[in-house]
Amino acid sequence: MNQLYRFLYLALLLPAFLPAQDATTRGKELFGDLRARQIGPAIMSGRISDIELHPSNPKVIYVGTAGGGVWKSNDGGARFNSVFDNHCQSIGAVAVDPSAPDNVVWVGTGETWTRNSVSFGDGIYRTGDGGLNWTKMGLEKSERIASIIVNPKNANEVYVGVLGALWSDSEERGVYKTSDGGKTWSKILYVNATTGCADMVMDPSNPSILYASFWEFRRTAWSFNSGGNNSALYKSIDGGKTWNKIHNGFPNGKLGRMGIAIAASNPKILYTVIESEQDKDKGLYRSDDAGASWKQLNNDFGIVVRPFYFSRITVDPRNPEVIAKGGLSGSISRDGGKTFRNLGAMHSDIHDIVFSINDSERMFVGTDGGVYRSWNGGTTMEIVANLPVSQYYHVSVDNQEPYNIYGGLQDNNTWYGPSSSPGGIEARDWHLIGVGDGFRALPHPTKRIVYSEMQGAENVWRTDLEKNKIRVIQPLPVIGDPKLRWNWNPPMATSALRPDRLYMGSQFLHKSDDMGDTWVKISPDLTTNNPSKTSQGNSGGLSTDNSGAENHCTIFTIAESPLDEKVIWVGTDDGNVQVTQDAGKTWKNVNTNLPGLPAGTWCYHIEASSFNKGTAYAVFEGHSHGDMQPYAYKTTNFGATWTSVLTPEVEGVARNIQEDFVNPNLLFLGTEFGLYISMNGGKSWYKFTNNMPAVAVYYLEIQRKTNDLVMGTHGRGVIILDDISPLRQITDEVLAKDLHFFKNRPAIMYEESSFGGTAGEMEFVGPNPSRAGQIVYYLKKRHSLGKFTMEIQNAAGQKVHEITPGKSKGINIVEWGYAGKVPKIAKGQTISREGATPAPIPAGKYKIVVQKGTETYTHDWDISYDPKSAITLEDRKLKEATVQKVFDMTQSLAYLVYELDETINGAKQLMSKNTGLSSTLTPMLAEYNKLKETLVVTTGDNYVSAGEPQLREDLASLFSNLASGLYKPSANELANLKRLEAEFNAAKVELQKLKGKHAAKLNELLVQNQLAAIAIKPFEEFLKLP
Amino acid sequence: MRILSLLLALAFTVSFGHAQTADEIINKYLTATGGVEKWQKLEGIKMSAKVNQGGMDIPLDIFNLKDGRQMTVVTFQGKSIKQGVYDGTTLWSTNFMTMKAEKSDAETTENFKTALGDFPDPFLNYSAKGYKVELVGKETVEGTETFKIKLTKKPVLVEGKSEENVSFYFFDAEEFIPIMVESEIKVGPAKGQISQITMSDYQEVNGLFFPFSLGQGVKGMGSQPITMTKIELNPQVDSKEFVFTEEK
Repeated sequence: MNQLYRFLYLALLLPAFLPAQDATTRGKELFGDLRARQIGPAIMSGRISDIELHPSNPKVIYVGTAGGGVWKSNDGGARFNSVFDNHCQSIGAVAVDPSAPDNVVWVGTGETWTRNSVSFGDGIYRTGDGGLNWTKMGLEKSERIASIIVNPKNANEVYVGVLGALWSDSEERGVYKTSDGGKTWSKILYVNATTGCADMVMDPSNPSILYASFWEFRRTAWSFNSGGNNSALYKSIDGGKTWNKIHNGFPNGKLGRMGIAIAASNPKILYTVIESEQDKDKGLYRSDDAGASWKQLNNDFGIVVRPFYFSRITVDPRNPEVIAKGGLSGSISRDGGKTFRNLGAMHSDIHDIVFSINDSERMFVGTDGGVYRSWNGGTTMEIVANLPVSQYYHVSVDNQEPYNIYGGLQDNNTWYGPSSSPGGIEARDWHLIGVGDGFRALPHPTKRIVYSEMQGAENVWRTDLEKNKIRVIQPLPVIGDPKLRWNWNPPMATSALRPDRLYMGSQFLHKSDDMGDTWVKISPDLTTNNPSKTSQGNSGGLSTDNSGAENHCTIFTIAESPLDEKVIWVGTDDGNVQVTQDAGKTWKNVNTNLPGLPAGTWCYHIEASSFNKGTAYAVFEGHSHGDMQPYAYKTTNFGATWTSVLTPEVEGVARNIQEDFVNPNLLFLGTEFGLYISMNGGKSWYKFTNNMPAVAVYYLEIQRKTNDLVMGTHGRGVIILDDISPLRQITDEVLAKDLHFFKNRPAIMYEESSFGGTAGEMEFVGPNPSRAGQIVYYLKKRHSLGKFTMEIQNAAGQKVHEITPGKSKGINIVEWGYAGKVPKIAKGQTISREGATPAPIPAGKYKIVVQKGTETYTHDWDISYDPKSAITLEDRKLKEATVQKVFDMTQSLAYLVYELDETINGAKQLMSKNTGLSSTLTPMLAEYNKLKETLVVTTGDNYVSAGEPQLREDLASLFSNLASGLYKPSANELANLKRLEAEFNAAKVELQKLKGKHAAKLNELLVQNQLAAIAIKPFEEFLKLP
Repeated sequence: MRILSLLLALAFTVSFGHAQTADEIINKYLTATGGVEKWQKLEGIKMSAKVNQGGMDIPLDIFNLKDGRQMTVVTFQGKSIKQGVYDGTTLWSTNFMTMKAEKSDAETTENFKTALGDFPDPFLNYSAKGYKVELVGKETVEGTETFKIKLTKKPVLVEGKSEENVSFYFFDAEEFIPIMVESEIKVGPAKGQISQITMSDYQEVNGLFFPFSLGQGVKGMGSQPITMTKIELNPQVDSKEFVFTEEK
């Protein structure tokens, strides 16, 4: 009995113990119409890790990216769409199932080009519908998947090469196989916890034959090692049951990373590229006997360069002598690997090369800067201009209108561009402000000056954007200084209180109060200065790789309190959190009271609070120690004590936190897998997924004029969450209401040129923020049944517009473009586009009235004119009166034409009924038609066959110009109006004349012939006609 | 002991809920919206609707008949413009420049003919139509828990190749009515993007329930609302209105 009670007790408590909902579902239930805006840019694109072709449809191409997910082209590489938004965006391998290539695709997450900034994956995924829906199929701890091969004769049999963890030992690596379509996996080849599968191919003529290269490798934050005695090339001839090393002809000693490729047209021919101890032994090796023996062919720079970054070999599927290899520039050989030449000019760092399935002249190449197409066998290359997979390290914003976004990108320079641009944000809107790998870029708080940098502060630039002048300003060592240690991604900071101040951090904190012209060190070495972590010159293993990427024991984040310039926070990559309260005279390391944080964890970001100078947030990132937990803490006492602001629902290492500057409880957190939002100071978190991919968010900033959250993502460019102000107002009380209107951004009727952009349809264009008026409200429950209407009323309570409300549970945003009434226009032969112009509405107090079932909800809404308008209030009155006058004339003309049409139709009807009246009616009709022909176009089509414009067209044109005009009516427009009035008056007189002459007679004849007399509806009724 | 069994029942209901199948959801939907019999008897629908374009309400009349004929009539500046008209043989629309009838391209017409029989609802006797349904799982859509049902209709031609014709219907898990339909766009510049149609304001018309408010858009972008002003069942409509007339 006790047992039963116990079970019952547990069963009853079960729902309460389970998290009521996960952060993603709660986010989907709250955020509703708040939708992220992905503005790219795509001009520099980003790193591509793998390209995969459909085996029979040359139009279908998949691209796996380093940090921007999987993209699919359905049109031969002209355009690509993202198909993997909801999952880990770091991609190792993509494989199309040859038995069901339209539907079944496998994606292995975790890029395998293991540079310092490489991300990590969370397993393998499969789609059964060409990428619409994906299911995770396991291998969650694999971190990096190098190869996936589906047996072409048995789709349930899949081989996966797992490279595995980069920063730690792991047993989840080697070759895995499933025989049940991914339900279960067995590890069929494992070497040890430091050696993973770097590449794998299957013999296309015999699915039992597999080749797999194994690589011993390890990274720390301060070193990289490629190679060891466990690296090897294996072959299996029994579907992976047994494996043998095939090293006959290989160099002796340790081996590094090896690529492996097989010639589809002759599977006996294999190529491998070998990293080994002696430079002379490195390079391309070929076997002509299916791996039984190997011969070295070439050790040119292009073949041996940086094996950890470039090891892909591709053989032309139709010609075993044509091979291409990834590298700094990419190489192609047409003599079986003996000699190579570079591929055509494109972004450097080539990771994958494919030949189109039917035509080897058509190639696609994946680089550090996007996908390139070639139509001539790699001689000339053309970038795919719509892959916004750019990898930002950092973003910042200025205060211009529209504001600009500044930031540096992995191997892709430093850029700035606008948050909005006519027609959308396109390639031409982005401007270079630095070269190399770009990192931080900070606008001067008040001047049109920006600071930017390249890796390791090799150069720090101060660019005067107005004068287009550059000055190099990085702090240089002076007498008595040790070597300055700069992080690959060196920190800089400006001051909210001293506009000309700039900070930079090496192992010391450097301060300049004259925009970088002079520098003073205001700290001792703030790092652990651990000699075992500062010998990066020896990094690389079998191939020295001294790029500066492993510089360690450096300052990584700097924050001056916006409330007190003497309070400065510094975080280091080796785990220190240093604070000074006296502008650098004394420093205190406050990294001791951080509950749950492993010692030495990289301090990635410190956010000094806007509300209290002793308050700060610190984010720590431990993935370079193999620790994938997120860490973020808050202190309110200058670091004496810290409390975690995260909850277990947050997934992925965290890199940045942003405190709102209005509501201290509103926090934004960027993690490896997206954006999280807390509205209660970190007690609980909601994941934001509306048009927001699960991308690594590296940096967050709030633009204070627009209240936009601007995110620098490492794989999907800049993503903006426009106007976060509704989130400041979310409280338990609001969430309990059936419907709640939020106060939101001011409703301003912007008056600007309407000319658009220049991008072609194959170029990415980032959307602009909406300029419409927004009505923002919360609904407790989605409205599905019954009526739900919304109207906008003016101050007098008259309906101005009826608008379709949003029905989602959560936040709804309904937009209105401030369009007033459109005049009813005379019916003619043609359509008048100008006649569809709405009248402008006056600024003033409006009211939103919602009718939901029997409930009515109202909300006051102030609408104002553009403060930058080119028109005075007085002139605006003239404009409004003139617009109204032409509006009324347009409708009067429509009514007049209606009367004419009714008369003409009556006469025609009569004539067809009684042909004997032809001689009476024909001249009458001619007179009426003659008048009509001066009022509306009566012939032709809606294009170049249209008849000459008449009064209706002239009026519509004037109305359109006045109504959408941004100035007071010009003298010429007013004179034109006078002329049109005169024409219209003459037409009215003419109609009266015709009526006087014919109406009585016509009606008499109609009645005589049992037809209805001409009946003209009153004006008000006429207006309601469709 | 009575209390115990009550607790037991409660415990199971709360923690495990009731698993639904696609057929159960579809049956509940058809029942909730009027019942299979009523839907089967329906001969035609006329929907009078409006869309707002730049401040102007544009009226539409949409006809759908059981025999597959259909027509959308747009009224603009007093002129009627017909779009997506099918007369039993030809699919046609009015050209906006010449205001004359023009045939749709052969592939669009063929795909349209393949889909004949969808009236009044693709889920009605879906199996007899050769359609397949599958419950994919639960998903939160429009802030609401839904059942996601994959509907596979007869294959369509895309640039000459036969492709699977799949759409996903999201049924409100409480009300058992679809609130969103998603499908991949197969042709044109938006090819590969996801079309989304949302439905709300379900109201009764002579015993059958219809959504009176629709939103049409592309995933990740905005949506264009369409509001029904009136729905008429088994409308009277002159057959001549559907007929494609060749220019003499």
